[in-house]
Amino acid sequence: MQTFLTLLISGLVIGGIYGLIALGYSLIYRASGLMSFAQGDMVTLGAYLGIFYYVWLGLPILVALVLTFITAFLFGMALERGVIRTLLKKNVIPIYIVLATIAVSYIIQNLAQAVFGSTTQWFPQVFPVANLTLFGVTNQTEAYASFVISIILMIALHLFMTKTKFGTAMRGSAMDPLAAESCGINTSLSTGITWGLAASIASLAGMMLGPMYGVFTTLGSTIGRKGFAGAVVGGYGNMYGAMIGGLLLGLAETFVAGYIDGTYKNQIAYIILIVFLFVKPTGIFNEKAIQDV
Amino acid sequence: MAKLLELIDFHYYYGNIHSVKGINLSVDEGEIVTLIGANGAGKTTTMQSISGLTARRGVVGKILFQGKEIQKYNGYKVATLGIAQSLEGRHVFSQLTVEENLMMGAYLRKDSKHIKDDLKNVYDRFPRLLERRTQMAGTLSGGEQQMLAMGRALMSRPKLLLLDEPSLGLAPLITQEIFVAVRDINKEGTTILFVEQNSKIALNTASRGYVMQTGEIVMSDTSENLLSNEEVKKAYLGG
Ligand SMILES: Nc1ncnc2c1ncn2[C@@H]1O[C@H](COP(=O)(O)OP(=O)(O)OP(=O)(O)O)[C@@H](O)[C@H]1O
Ligand SMILES: [Mg+2]
Repeated sequence: MQTFLTLLISGLVIGGIYGLIALGYSLIYRASGLMSFAQGDMVTLGAYLGIFYYVWLGLPILVALVLTFITAFLFGMALERGVIRTLLKKNVIPIYIVLATIAVSYIIQNLAQAVFGSTTQWFPQVFPVANLTLFGVTNQTEAYASFVISIILMIALHLFMTKTKFGTAMRGSAMDPLAAESCGINTSLSTGITWGLAASIASLAGMMLGPMYGVFTTLGSTIGRKGFAGAVVGGYGNMYGAMIGGLLLGLAETFVAGYIDGTYKNQIAYIILIVFLFVKPTGIFNEKAIQDV
Repeated sequence: MAKLLELIDFHYYYGNIHSVKGINLSVDEGEIVTLIGANGAGKTTTMQSISGLTARRGVVGKILFQGKEIQKYNGYKVATLGIAQSLEGRHVFSQLTVEENLMMGAYLRKDSKHIKDDLKNVYDRFPRLLERRTQMAGTLSGGEQQMLAMGRALMSRPKLLLLDEPSLGLAPLITQEIFVAVRDINKEGTTILFVEQNSKIALNTASRGYVMQTGEIVMSDTSENLLSNEEVKKAYLGG
């Protein structure tokens, strides 16, 4: 029972992170019909931004969190404005835009290395109490905080997208840009904001990973890929699918590693991904995955 | 009567394809005018160009709204001027509810009190939308979607309402119902320019009409005269 609870909590913590990253992939897919390879690097970006604001500048953790969110938001918007839209205007076939995001991904990784060096940096302890015991399970305090923040972010995003006029307009723009534009919605701004949001959510995931995993230049590309798998399993493009898919993969890999064998921990997400693609490509939330014939 | 909308030597190019070849068209305040013509004549291109929904680089010539040149404006900016369009093919937000769709029509408005009144007016005009207000728009029938597209356009309280093929794919009975609404909306004071495949209904609804053929306007007259014109009868009214 104790093992079960320990695994459950660890699974939810990492699953929450995957869920946040998956959300970003889904938002981008909805808004632009694309997959961005740079999405994982937004996690790395966030982790380093966290170090920059919290450690280098010595700002309070909440201020560092907000600034990381804002900086990543601007970065995501700039990426859409500068790279994606430029290519779209040239009427480039979508796969080439996806290829361009691979280039962006490597640029970010190498820039991070140039600025922060190649050794893993450790995000210092944030809370006065290093460990917390809940239900008899002891864990890093930051891990619990990370799960709480993940859930808060998911709920906040849900409320923003469904209950506010602007969020509804963003969903509308993604569904039917022509109609949205005719209603007076600035659809290109809306797309830019979506990329910004995707980046900032991922950046917070990165900042939360810092204390648990350390910060290194390929942090995002490793963990980001699992977020991607979560998005596919949930139903690529579906917000709720992304959250559930991410949580599910986090739980699955933690339980497999805990009960069966730790060597398979990093394969399990991709095995589930490929099984889903074969058996249920539409994901848990039944997104459109099959071409019309 | 003051001219609300005026197209002066308007051309549209899709790359090298010259789709609209220098048309002149105007709509006075309070009028109801139709644009008819065969498939591919350039009607939708013209309508969407007025609304700023076609790529701006393809536009040559002038589009004036209340005397102001708007041919360079993007779609969302044209909407702020008071031009709303019910698009060809309806284009409802399929995964938003009926009411969310209508509220998107009022996206630019800040007067929440009057928005409520207008929502009620739309529901009074199309009671079926009220019955389905919490239903996803994608699950509506074609006729209901058309009502929704029109209702959404009305929710902006437009000065100029553009309707592109409101009867597309609808049964005759629903078509009648839609056109009763079109006439009423105009009688209540909204200026309307509409495109319609069914020329007979179009000319019976509008006071004036333009006939478009392969990118050009070949005739322009009162509906009465067009209805009795031999050429129009032969080409568009089935003999
Ligand atoms: N995106 C596009 N790219 C290239 N050509 C286009 C495009 N859209 C329309 N056209 C061409 O422009 C011409 C006018 O099309 P348009 O849709 O405006 O006609 P229409 O009068 O509305 O026809 P319909 O009655 O079938 O709706 C057609 O020859 C069409 O093939
Ligand atoms: Mg048309």
